[in-house]
Amino acid sequence: MGKVFDWIDSRFGIKAPHKRFLQRPLPERINYLYCLGGISFVLFLCLLVSGALLSIYYVPSQDEAFQSVVRITREVRLGWFIRGIHKWSANLLIVFILLHTLRVILHRAYRPPRELNWIVGVCTLVVAFASGFTGYLLPWDQKAYWATEVGTSMAGTIPYVGRYILYLLRGGPDITGSTLVRFYSLHIIWLPLTMGALLWAHFHMVKRQGISGGL
Amino acid sequence: MNRRDFLSTAIKAFFTLLGIITGVIALLFSYPSRIRRPVIEYFPVMDEDELPRRGVRTVTFRYTIQKKVLTSRAFVVNHKGSVYVLSPVCTHLGCLVNWHRKKNQFLCPCHGGKYDIEGRVVDGPPPKPLTRLPFRISDGKLHIGMKV
Repeated sequence: MGKVFDWIDSRFGIKAPHKRFLQRPLPERINYLYCLGGISFVLFLCLLVSGALLSIYYVPSQDEAFQSVVRITREVRLGWFIRGIHKWSANLLIVFILLHTLRVILHRAYRPPRELNWIVGVCTLVVAFASGFTGYLLPWDQKAYWATEVGTSMAGTIPYVGRYILYLLRGGPDITGSTLVRFYSLHIIWLPLTMGALLWAHFHMVKRQGISGGL
Repeated sequence: MNRRDFLSTAIKAFFTLLGIITGVIALLFSYPSRIRRPVIEYFPVMDEDELPRRGVRTVTFRYTIQKKVLTSRAFVVNHKGSVYVLSPVCTHLGCLVNWHRKKNQFLCPCHGGKYDIEGRVVDGPPPKPLTRLPFRISDGKLHIGMKV
């Protein structure tokens, strides 16, 4: 295993620059509160893997979506487990991002030179919320339908432009199969790609700027 | 072996194990849980002389899928000289419809779907007519075909 990796790395050259980063000594004041961001990232990875697996069986159409979710839970081997992982990772992801945000606020780690990283972090939170909102529709049951009805109606109350945002979100005046496909596309392509780019930027700045001094 | 080497090996072992477990779970998950093609198997339902001369007769019958005994219902219809078997599952949301002799219609108790004696939609939300089940008459008995 190591030899294969070395053969690749002698051509690819990714080990040396990361070794310096991964094996650097950490400041002494570091404690477990600094793990919250890392935990969020691990949960994001769990979501990627379990979501990729679920997409094998999920059918994003108004006639079959609900039935396919029932099938995943009841018939597919370990389907209940993968779906459970996806659900709980999603819930915990929001919790841990918020705790991580709280830690950054309390340590005032958003101050210069880390303002941009704070902004990127907030964008990550927004994308996580959007992923949660779009993912909630996908089981296509009553709860999903009405949650989306309520959620998109809120966007519709924005003065002047609200109605157009509503149509954009729903793909029409009502929640139909086209809303489902729209949310599916956002949930499995656009939002994860955006999230990946944002996280890359986030980690890049953590590497460049180091860990903040804290309180 | 010093502490640093031990921890490094332990971490590598942990992640290798994690990778293997994830891989096995992913394989188990993606491998189809049902390989056999669905086959239509015929189950005896009633004697041939019990067939309705005219109109609809509701039959309840038992059949087995993979050693599981299931109970099902069907409508045996003799209408204008032709015999056919209708599934009682409403095509709207899957409730079981009932035959209403006075109205000469199949009525769904859930959302008011109505079908005529041939299973065509008369009223209500159902998108498709009632499903016709395959059947055959042999050995003096009516057999209904179910997907097994």
